[in-house]
Amino acid sequence: MKPRTCALLLAISCSTILPAQQKEQGTIINEVQMYVSPDLNSQKLARATRGRDVPLVMERTKIGEQTWAHVLIVVDVNRDAETTRQITGWVPSNVVISTATPNGDQIIFGEAVDSENQAEQRGGRRHAAEDAMRLYYRVYDYWPNSPLAGEGLWRAADIRWQLEKADVRLRPSSREMSPDLRTPIDDENMKLVMKKFPHTKFADLAAYNMIDNKLCGSWKGETKCPEKESELYEKYAREHPQSPKVAEALFNAAWRQAALVQMYGAQHDKERDKAHKKAMDLAQEVAAKSSAGDPKLVDWKPRATELMYSLQQGIPTYTAEPDRK
Amino acid sequence: MVTNRKIFELLFLAALAVTAAFVISAFAAEAERATLIRGESLSSSAGANAQKIVQVERGSALTILERSQADGQPWVKISMAMDQQAQVSREVTGWLPAKSVVTASTANGDEIIFGQGVDSERQAEERGGRKGAAQDALRLYSRVPEMFPGSPLAAEGMWRAADIRWQLAKTDFVRSGKPMEEKYLREVIAKSPQSKQAELAAYDLLDNQLCPEWRGLAECPTKESALYEQYAHEHPQSPKAAEALYNAAWRQAALTDIYRINNDRSKSDAARQKGIALAQQIQSQQQDQDWKMRATDLIYKLEKKIPVYGVDVVETGETK
Repeated sequence: MKPRTCALLLAISCSTILPAQQKEQGTIINEVQMYVSPDLNSQKLARATRGRDVPLVMERTKIGEQTWAHVLIVVDVNRDAETTRQITGWVPSNVVISTATPNGDQIIFGEAVDSENQAEQRGGRRHAAEDAMRLYYRVYDYWPNSPLAGEGLWRAADIRWQLEKADVRLRPSSREMSPDLRTPIDDENMKLVMKKFPHTKFADLAAYNMIDNKLCGSWKGETKCPEKESELYEKYAREHPQSPKVAEALFNAAWRQAALVQMYGAQHDKERDKAHKKAMDLAQEVAAKSSAGDPKLVDWKPRATELMYSLQQGIPTYTAEPDRK
Repeated sequence: MVTNRKIFELLFLAALAVTAAFVISAFAAEAERATLIRGESLSSSAGANAQKIVQVERGSALTILERSQADGQPWVKISMAMDQQAQVSREVTGWLPAKSVVTASTANGDEIIFGQGVDSERQAEERGGRKGAAQDALRLYSRVPEMFPGSPLAAEGMWRAADIRWQLAKTDFVRSGKPMEEKYLREVIAKSPQSKQAELAAYDLLDNQLCPEWRGLAECPTKESALYEQYAHEHPQSPKAAEALYNAAWRQAALTDIYRINNDRSKSDAARQKGIALAQQIQSQQQDQDWKMRATDLIYKLEKKIPVYGVDVVETGETK
């Protein structure tokens, strides 16, 4: 057996045998090259990106002015196929944030915010969103008692959700009317948020995201989709009255009722009038909730007012698929 | 001595002035300002079957000239500038269905226009959103302070319009080098001094003083760090104060690397200390969790000498 394989096996066995509290674990906050030994001139093993899981920091050593850490790290084998493997190697110690680092949770969270910000910028760092996702997850993973753990897990789950949602939208099945005819977005992490942090803002937000999987890909002019979706959003608002998404959910429910007013048209007076009343009631509720002084809700009141005005004046709010909200 | 003729002349002039004032105010009252909350075709006469002249976009500035009924619905005759962005534009008049027209006398008109502004802004941010939605939002937000200067949404509308214009101009600048016009942001500061909107406008204006490229030289980050620090100190209540301090600190961190690469150890150390001090200000003075955590991360990197700018010899660098 080669010495490197031996070291790997030893590392893996150590990482499973040692109790969690004794193990030094963490992640890295800068993209680094891994070396076979603590020497810049030694053989390069792999490039490790931000947020990669470091299940074990085996040792540290100082060579000249540079401190090195010998780590077991999970690296990508194929980014697209999301296959990984564990390898051991040496990295500059200063980029390893472990459970032994003071304020380690805050440092990783800060680096995650930074990566998320990069991902949102035009011309930002490549794969910065994935970096942010991994970094946020590490906060929850290795600092489960940190005040940042809930937020970290939620943000990690949300980034994964948004990335997957964008991917799902590119597939032809995304235009199918029934949500059952397309591959759903993997909701495992959202469920984890709700399980680990029940009755929190994060659980409310996760529940809101999960509505995406129940929405029609395309309405195709059929009333059953907006009817069902309006119900879903209203139900959410009733079940999560403290959620930061309550005004948005109510507005989405109201907007779908307004669309129904047009879809029913003159042929179905009774249904149209019912949808009109429901839309007005829901929009009024949005306006009432949004005037509570929360600056994050301030935009919903004018939107609800505009929707009510459009309903009263008979201005179309739903024209074609591109106008969907 | 004032003669009778002079008295008569004075009385006549006074009467003329009163009449003129009355006519002007009557005309002003008649010339009701309005805008559209949905795009509509301008017709040559009232009625759905009339000839279409031009498409009128959401948020266009309109003046109402006349009202009428046709095809069982109300119509308004309007006049507008054909190209609302141009310095010189010809006037066009025509008829629009009244239902999409919001005037200064519409109940909650400010909220309705602002609401459609928010809606259009969201559309602009969405992948596959409506084409021209950002411009729609810009126009709609602009109408709020114009038509409802006393509205609680007036300052926010003016700021959002100026900001969208600025962001669009910034994209243009990157693409074509066309200079960014400051007048709209300056108007926000002049109209709502000491407000949150004025602070945000002042922050946007810093963009015009930043270097397009640093080229690895210390001059630009030094100047930019000072600019951001000055902003943070002059606007301690601004929603952008923490971001400004972070930007100032991050530039000092970059200077640490630039001086280190140039083997100027004392300047590198001074920049490091300055960067840490600025980041500590965020931790102690600011409430925003994200900026505090980013400051903690930056302090750690500065203390542990992890490069933040350029490529490091141990290949741990990043570039922002």
